[in-house]
Amino acid sequence: MQNVGLTYKTSIVKRPTLKARLKTIGRSNKHTRVVNALNNVNLDIHYGTVLGVIGSNGAGKSSLMRVISGIVPPTQGRIEVHGSVSTLLALGVGFNPSMTGRANVYLGGLAAGMSRAEIDGQFDAIAEFSELGDAIDAPMRTYSSGMYARLAFSVAATVQPDILIVDEALSTGDAHFKEKSLNRIKELRTADRALILVSHAMATIEDVCNEVAWLHKGKLMARGNPAEIIKQYREFMQVGKSAAANEDV
Amino acid sequence: MSAPQTVYEPFRAGLPPLGSYLRSLWARRSFISEFSRSELREQNYGSVFGQLWLVLNPLLLSGVYFLLIYIIGGQSDATRYGHLTASLFLFYLISNSLSGGVKSITAGQRLILNTAFPRVMLPISATVIALFKFIPTLFIFFIMRTVLGLEYSWNMFWAIPVLLIALLMGLGMAILISCINVYFRDIASFLPYMTRSLLYLSPILYQASDLSDQLKRFEIVNPIFYLLDAWSQVMVYAQAPDLFSLMHALIWALSIFFVGTYFFLSRERDFAVRL
Repeated sequence: MQNVGLTYKTSIVKRPTLKARLKTIGRSNKHTRVVNALNNVNLDIHYGTVLGVIGSNGAGKSSLMRVISGIVPPTQGRIEVHGSVSTLLALGVGFNPSMTGRANVYLGGLAAGMSRAEIDGQFDAIAEFSELGDAIDAPMRTYSSGMYARLAFSVAATVQPDILIVDEALSTGDAHFKEKSLNRIKELRTADRALILVSHAMATIEDVCNEVAWLHKGKLMARGNPAEIIKQYREFMQVGKSAAANEDV
Repeated sequence: MSAPQTVYEPFRAGLPPLGSYLRSLWARRSFISEFSRSELREQNYGSVFGQLWLVLNPLLLSGVYFLLIYIIGGQSDATRYGHLTASLFLFYLISNSLSGGVKSITAGQRLILNTAFPRVMLPISATVIALFKFIPTLFIFFIMRTVLGLEYSWNMFWAIPVLLIALLMGLGMAILISCINVYFRDIASFLPYMTRSLLYLSPILYQASDLSDQLKRFEIVNPIFYLLDAWSQVMVYAQAPDLFSLMHALIWALSIFFVGTYFFLSRERDFAVRL
């Protein structure tokens, strides 16, 4: 990534009334706020890297992931991607709640870019990993949020791309399932794959990643050894190793 | 290091590399069909009749419109009723494609913000849904026209090219309007009035030949006027459509499709920011 920048314009309507709308219609100076989501970020990620991305809310982590995966074009700079990218930015993308879990495995898998044959081959593994049992044939609207998230993670974790981007998707289900999904992520760490992990869970990042990048207000603050960067980040944010900050998700 | 497979640079309005775009679209064909099927199933989810509505809807629709022309027109011969149903069903193929297409991008926000895929897939699946809804109406129509005692002939195979033109028209319209809706959301509120006007401006409740020449001259700007006329010729009268009607429909369909697709493809990278 070279000098990547991303700016949004969001319009602000202070009072969304008919009168206010009539006043501004046709005028060019609308109330807009410019958001600098990313500012001159330079980053190169090689195969074999497991990069953790940390930063406070609104630091630009998700924006960075969207830019890398080609969902949002950057407003400045250039991104070169060598390989296939799969994103796990949100769980259950493409799912349809009125369909059964089984149908949604296909929907979600196809949405993630798998072929039908691949899903056929992986289906049993997905169903088993999700631990849903017979519920897999019930409509997903009857699922608890934990069940929903478990199935969504199971589908997402079967995709095997060259570059995998995971955005805070590990906080699924109960402690048992969290452990299981973390292990799954660890399994995905191979020399011929690059993993990018966005999380607020410092312990997970420290455990899984071999490199950490710290973003703050759209700028890359530091990058390097996980323990070191996390320490800097903690000092910067003035949070100690409290239980809440350490919460493993 | 090898050459990059993908390069992302600041957005400029322009076509993406078409070859790789079409390849990735083709690779997702099963997603399109699965996605359309689930959307379709969801629309009738929880109702007593369920998927039976796919047949009930067109039946009730033609019943209601028959009532209308019977009361207004006072005449109700078999061909007139056949014409009404055949035209109405094809009209709904296009209008469903439009109404499904208009919100396809804005409703697919979650997909668009979280996955990279050819965005044109969404309006395509709107047209596929419209086609799924159209197919049962074809069966109903054939039963109906047998009951009405309308003639059959080999000329009815002309229905295939006419239907293909209609699909291309519906697809082009869905692609175009879904893209417009990203920049101008008000179009979704205008759409019901637009399709309603289109319904009255097209030879559905009346026949194309009923129209005075003076009025008919203006119908050149109605993209579906001659398409519906050709459809009625083929399906109701079992005659070959006249060449002018076919050409008129084809030229309109191709123009809308190419303009819509160009507009859409050159802007789709901007969608995620606009949503």
